[in-house]
Amino acid sequence: MLLQHVVNAISLGGIYALLALGLAIVFSIVGLINFAHGELMTIAGYTTLGALLFGVPFPAAVLLAIATTAVAAMAMERIAFRPMRGASVTSLLLTSFAVSALLKVIFQNGLSARPQPLAMPQWMTGSYQVGNVAIGVGPTISIVISVVALVGLELFLRRTVTGTAMRAAAEDFPVVRLMGIAAGRVIATAFALSGVLAGIAALLWVAQRASVDPLMGAVPVVKAFIATVVGGLGSLPGAVVGGLLLGAIEIGLDAVLPPSVVPYRDAFVLSGVILILLFRPQGVIPAATVRRG
Amino acid sequence: MFAVGHAGCVGNSGSALIMLHAEGIKVRYGEIEAIHGVDLNVGEREVVALIGANGAGKSTTLNALCGLLPTVAGKISFLGTDVTGWAPDKISRNGMALTPEGRRVFGQLTVAENLMLGGAAHAGRAERVRRQEELLELFPVLRSRMTQKAGNMSGGEQQMLAIGRSLMSRPKLLLLDEPSLGLAPQMVDKVFDLIVALRKAGLSILLVEQNVGLALEIADRASVLRGGSIALSGSAEELASSDLVRQAYLGVH
Amino acid sequence: MGKSVRRMSVVAGAIALALGGCGSKHDDSTIVIGVVTAQTGVLASYDQPSLAGFRMSIDEINARGGLGGKHPVKLLVRDTRSDTATTAAAAQELVDEGAKIMITPCDADPSIVAGQVTQPAGVPTLTFCGSSPILPGAVGDMMFTTYPTDNLQAAALAKHAYETGLRKVYLLVSPDTTYTSGLPEYFGKVFTNLGGTVVGKGSFSMNQPDFSVAVTTIRNLKEQPDLIMTAAYEPDFPAFVRQLRAAGVTTPVFGADALGTPTIAGLGELANGVVFTSAGCATPGSKLEAFNQQFNKVTGHLPSSAYEVNGYEIGLLLDAAVKSATSMSGPAIRDALDNLENFEAVTGTITYRGTQRIPVRSVALLRYEGGKAQCLQSVTPAASEIPAPL
Repeated sequence: MLLQHVVNAISLGGIYALLALGLAIVFSIVGLINFAHGELMTIAGYTTLGALLFGVPFPAAVLLAIATTAVAAMAMERIAFRPMRGASVTSLLLTSFAVSALLKVIFQNGLSARPQPLAMPQWMTGSYQVGNVAIGVGPTISIVISVVALVGLELFLRRTVTGTAMRAAAEDFPVVRLMGIAAGRVIATAFALSGVLAGIAALLWVAQRASVDPLMGAVPVVKAFIATVVGGLGSLPGAVVGGLLLGAIEIGLDAVLPPSVVPYRDAFVLSGVILILLFRPQGVIPAATVRRG
Repeated sequence: MFAVGHAGCVGNSGSALIMLHAEGIKVRYGEIEAIHGVDLNVGEREVVALIGANGAGKSTTLNALCGLLPTVAGKISFLGTDVTGWAPDKISRNGMALTPEGRRVFGQLTVAENLMLGGAAHAGRAERVRRQEELLELFPVLRSRMTQKAGNMSGGEQQMLAIGRSLMSRPKLLLLDEPSLGLAPQMVDKVFDLIVALRKAGLSILLVEQNVGLALEIADRASVLRGGSIALSGSAEELASSDLVRQAYLGVH
Repeated sequence: MGKSVRRMSVVAGAIALALGGCGSKHDDSTIVIGVVTAQTGVLASYDQPSLAGFRMSIDEINARGGLGGKHPVKLLVRDTRSDTATTAAAAQELVDEGAKIMITPCDADPSIVAGQVTQPAGVPTLTFCGSSPILPGAVGDMMFTTYPTDNLQAAALAKHAYETGLRKVYLLVSPDTTYTSGLPEYFGKVFTNLGGTVVGKGSFSMNQPDFSVAVTTIRNLKEQPDLIMTAAYEPDFPAFVRQLRAAGVTTPVFGADALGTPTIAGLGELANGVVFTSAGCATPGSKLEAFNQQFNKVTGHLPSSAYEVNGYEIGLLLDAAVKSATSMSGPAIRDALDNLENFEAVTGTITYRGTQRIPVRSVALLRYEGGKAQCLQSVTPAASEIPAPL
């Protein structure tokens, strides 16, 4: 039973971590908390759905969805956020809320307000035995994919020029530009990466709920935001730790709280978050950002 | 010796070709105008010092020249091209590099990564390795620190790294903003030795420096900024002997 | 300048007169129906289909000459964006614009605030598919529900469960909405009255697809239930049943009307044995089946839920009420609606007489097998079997 809870906690936390990373990458570079990140997930969901309806094989549909989401994230930056470059954090935040609301309405009135079924392949829904406990295939896949995505991102950030430039930009963007590196490219890459992460997270999320609807991104983006704040706003390792921590707290409380109190779990979760922030106001792993004129 | 890019032909009658020409540039922070029409010239293989008190607008001028700050008036031309209003990355790719005040190395990145980024937009991988090797001859202190985080180094080492990072782009003109600020005296000497070496190698330098005496020692020409305007310009010798400079900046009465 | 403005205002006046003249053709006989409805936001997935069905019936009614054959309907539709405050403001606007009848969203809260506007104005008000039985009582005599209410659905489900030999139930509730909290409780009440027992009760938070803890708890219950009753819907229900089956629990699951969707059907084998309710059953040759085909013809797609037919039936109910109303005043229409008895709608008969504005109507019970919903039976619980609103 404990093993099951641990697996579930890592699985849920992994999804939160991917989402939080997507938010953190963009925030670390342009100082924007992109609340339309949830709608990127929705785009991933609908792309998968559409691709499957057109008979695209499942693996190809998944790749297509992730690629589309990355492009959508870059388009979002180009259309909505680039004109706002240099604006205050508040203005950027409000812009992202506007983008989010707009996309939701477009999905509701352009596609359908009703949830659409999106069943993942049967093999993803089973379970297997470890000793005498049943471990779900879904959570296991989720953990594996989260780990692969995290390692992939880390390699990208460490080993490539663009990745290194992104880490540098998170510290001191103007100096990166002084090196001759185009700002647009760094920002576009940040959004593309956040799109890829949102796409992967969306597929893992959809695998659990079996449907896609216009508002499916609303809850996860809030979770991701909480995770980034807990981890340390703009800190990438912090986002991962924050996501895993949030998953562990949620599953832990579900398991420990008496049934009559479980419905108020989120209140406990948020109290825990406040507690963490009281002791570590900059988050668990604060960002090393240098902000200058 | 470290090789530097060349601006092209040398002007006639022995006088150096003008690389950077700024005319009447104004910069505003909100409602406040910080510099009110600054004129500056830097010729090829020339070291020009920009001196003045704190808040006189020295850093503002450098930041405006390299595109970090928008100008509201005036014209900047570099190597004969009008670069007014260009983005800093484009100006950098055109051959002007700024080593900013306070060094601003990427503290979370390794020394090697800092150097790599300096050349990333200017050279391919193989060429970057070659340039880095040359640099390490010039900055032997960095060689043993390559895998260390830049933020863990001393101020002087960070300054060396910051200048080295700028040199990775093989600039034709280097803008140095307060390279000796906050350094121990022997480090200050090292930094100035380096500037002299770079100058000998043929690099043009625009130097902002609060240590006016040292700056005038190594500069060909100098300008004094006061309250956002050029108060005085001339050869380094002329300025060093002028009353204004002697009294206000060299502490001689 | 002054002159030309005066001249323009004369022209405008003439146009207004001309338009007024046109309008007077409908004038007294036209009935304005205000529709405050969520076309965006969380309620849109219920209100959009409801409105589609309602529009279809109003179009048909207008083609026949209007409500009661002689009162053409003018629909004024406002989007509430699923926001309760906006709903109140929109309801007020529509009342000011002369709405004689009001249709409100598929949920109790916005319907109550709209009702607080329409009740004093004497405007009969019907909720699209809001199924909370407390709604009419909370507002007053102008407020009607139309859809099978939570307690009615629960009574039908409990009866069916007991009659098929199931005796022990586990209730899975979420306090997040009255639907997800109330419906299983009503079920428990009826089930216990019939002689069954509630062996346990768990809860979940909506929109959080992780049910691992609830599933682990059910798996480890000392006394295993014969069935699990929940009013969870999308996206929670698929996540729940998926994780439940993955954990090897095969206990049948009962749910409510919100499970009648393509998503749940799309679960395929996983949803096998899931029993749920609907407003009606589209058996071959039934009126509902004919409606579905007609809807497909009109809109180009089949209904996505039972909310379309419910919206359609609201039009029929209003038609019948206006036909028998003594006048076109709000209270007269209200009285006529309140007195409808055994009205033949699409899904069966609907009675309001003596029901406190909560329709007594049949509830269809369906079961998923291999990704298809199969009709089990239609149940019309007796008034005495329906638990009182909580």
